[in-house]
Amino acid sequence: MNIWQETISDGIQLVGVNGRLDQTLTPTLEAALLNLLDQGYHQLIVNLQGVNYINSGGLRCLVTVWRQAHQKGGDLKLCGLNERVSKVFSMVGFDKVFQIYEDCDAARRAVID
Amino acid sequence: MASPKNLTIPGRYDRIREACDFVVAGAEEAGFDPDEVFRIQLACDEACTNIIEHAYGVEDAGEIGVSWEIKKGAFIIELRDSGRPFRPETVPSPSVPDTPEDVDELKVGGLGLHFMRTLMDEVKFSFNDEGNHLVMVKNIG
Repeated sequence: MNIWQETISDGIQLVGVNGRLDQTLTPTLEAALLNLLDQGYHQLIVNLQGVNYINSGGLRCLVTVWRQAHQKGGDLKLCGLNERVSKVFSMVGFDKVFQIYEDCDAARRAVID
Repeated sequence: MASPKNLTIPGRYDRIREACDFVVAGAEEAGFDPDEVFRIQLACDEACTNIIEHAYGVEDAGEIGVSWEIKKGAFIIELRDSGRPFRPETVPSPSVPDTPEDVDELKVGGLGLHFMRTLMDEVKFSFNDEGNHLVMVKNIG
């Protein structure tokens, strides 16, 4: 399974992704995340520990959901980015847009607190 | 001097990786380190995605011709398609706000083109009767 979900508490969901976050996987991830927002999960954490590659389409997907989460008073946080994926974020300044946690447990604690 | 290596793939998202793997093999042969190979792979991905999204508009509307060669201290990638003319000057530049709260200020159009220009030393688009021709160059050393 490339995408998996875990409810952390009311309104908070963690979504994990495995593989290459490009056009072959991005539409599925975007649909899953937007569906969670529609269901009332406005605090999302996306675990990218299993992602070894991301392109501009992957970034666009995360920004689209981040924007919609903010419009609903929520947020989309990221965790577990490897060094290469981190570099792709910083290449366009997205490391300043998203709250990014190296450690996914820290991201969980941040949304629960 | 070795002649260019060529590959043709259908314009489908699930075939882009094949084109990028082909280019990666060339980048490795050119002696780039793994970080540079990754950057070249990403530029190739963005270029192929751009062709499907903008030149063809949809998947399965045409083919993408990919070639690479090592010439005069440079790694040269060329991509050809038979889609609509791509005019990079019409693509907006992405912009990132100073503060993350400025949600509406975040513009993500043109990210792919921005990546290509950031990752490669030269990016040139041209168009003729046969279609679009993109040349991307990465200097070696």
